[in-house]
Amino acid sequence: MVDIDKIEKLAALKLKEKEKETILNDLEEIIHYFEILKEVNTENVELQIYTKKAHLFLRKDEAKNGLRKEDLEKNKTLARENFYKVKHIIGE
Amino acid sequence: MTITSLPISSLINKLKNKEITAREVIENYAKNIYEKEKNIKAFINLDIEKALKRAGELDKMDEKKGLLFGVPVAVKDNMNVKNCETTAGSQILKGYISPYNATVVKKLKEENAIIIGKTNMDEFAMGSSNENSSFFPTHNPVNYDYVPGGSSGGSAASVKSEEVLVALGSDTGGSVREPAAFCGVVGLKPTYGLVSRYGLIAFSSSLDQIGPLTRNVKDCAIMLNAIAGFDPHDETSVNIKKKDYTNLLGKEIKGKRIGIIKEVMEFNIQDEIKEELKKTINTLVKLGVTITEISIAHLKYALPAYYIVAPSEASSNLSRFDGVRYGLTVQGKNLTSTYELTRTEGFGEEVKRRILIGTFALSAGYYDAYYLKASKVRKILANEFEKAFETVDTLLLPTTATTAFKLGEKKSPLEMYMSDIFTIPVNLAGLPAISVPHGSDKNGLPIGMQLIGSWFKEKELLQIAYAVENG
Repeated sequence: MVDIDKIEKLAALKLKEKEKETILNDLEEIIHYFEILKEVNTENVELQIYTKKAHLFLRKDEAKNGLRKEDLEKNKTLARENFYKVKHIIGE
Repeated sequence: MTITSLPISSLINKLKNKEITAREVIENYAKNIYEKEKNIKAFINLDIEKALKRAGELDKMDEKKGLLFGVPVAVKDNMNVKNCETTAGSQILKGYISPYNATVVKKLKEENAIIIGKTNMDEFAMGSSNENSSFFPTHNPVNYDYVPGGSSGGSAASVKSEEVLVALGSDTGGSVREPAAFCGVVGLKPTYGLVSRYGLIAFSSSLDQIGPLTRNVKDCAIMLNAIAGFDPHDETSVNIKKKDYTNLLGKEIKGKRIGIIKEVMEFNIQDEIKEELKKTINTLVKLGVTITEISIAHLKYALPAYYIVAPSEASSNLSRFDGVRYGLTVQGKNLTSTYELTRTEGFGEEVKRRILIGTFALSAGYYDAYYLKASKVRKILANEFEKAFETVDTLLLPTTATTAFKLGEKKSPLEMYMSDIFTIPVNLAGLPAISVPHGSDKNGLPIGMQLIGSWFKEKELLQIAYAVENG
């Protein structure tokens, strides 16, 4: 029932065949376990995305100092001159 | 009493009275680390030199101030400590150097705590035994053949073994309380929103909460004093008045109403844990509390709801690990293949499994049946807890259904997920809860009793926890 190839693609993962088989078995077992939720009547129940009593707020739109370039540059994957360097995505 | 067995207040008094120096404190803890760390493996990164340097600076200060002056602290490796490597127990972040401090870390530093190192954890906090760390498993200090619990297993083990005095962990489904119970220390998960999550590597943003692991309830309250508080950097941070979490400790608890959850007994619980629960109830009755049986009818649905909600949020949160911005990069022939190869190599099996569960639960055609359904069950559970707190002040139940298990003992993922049955409902509702050590099983492995309080009632929760601890 789980289309592992589709899910894998959506998740940007590329599993090895053997790994895929094990994980698929686990997923089916876990998803089967989720079926127990069908017993719960959720008609007319509101959604709860954040926990109860949590209030989301917005900050004032004020300019503030961000992270310092010198601190960020310690990470080797960060590219040069304030840009991230990635493989080209146009013209493939 | 040795220096490393002193609680926070005694240690600070000795430092203030110049009976000992901060440098001596760190040297004593370092001795324990050199002796025990090879067997326990609680740390991913240790920086004793830096800690000694900081101790030297503190010793030169004329005014010895700060709630944690000279206190050696360990921080779980999913919290950013500026200029230190932060891996969250994952290969995908190997080599990532934090460019800023998490708010909790900033607060610890402001209170003059000394950070000794970053502790081991299940990769991205996904696990209940520390066996999912991509580096090595941590061992339980009480018996090295057993797991320390997870995911804050390194933090719990480092506190228990006196490698540090206190530690920070994070709790998404029990990751502070379960290792606290398994190692025999105190672990608190505060109300969602009380402690800032800024700088904590997100696993499941609506459930994650940072909390202290300590050797006693008073130290736990002191740590909460240091880390709680509003932070504009966290949009879910709650702006409530600053409180002193220590000032009800030791106060009489006569007349308090404690609830026992009827449905808890429907689960298979180790006999010795049931016995400890009875003993705890007897102690509390002697102290004058009233015990009421209450119902959280949907308790058994918390686990499946959690294992839909948490992986769904994780699948989104972990999309930022793409091989471009942080740590590991595995170059592919194009950008998509670089993403895929980096993530496939960088994430461990359990992380991949959860990303896939979450991706499935959020995918077209399944969203309503899984994610939406689970979020509604979450609402039902939270409402049931709210109703319970109309008649009782605190709920009492075991932290875990069993004591620590052996390394390598649990094989299937689902079997491992079951370790969290009594801790997960708390995160889904956003409530505060604490695990307090209470006795041990026939093998000498610690047992933890869990107390759950109403939202933002940490003061009262700690008051009862103190009474349970001191019986």
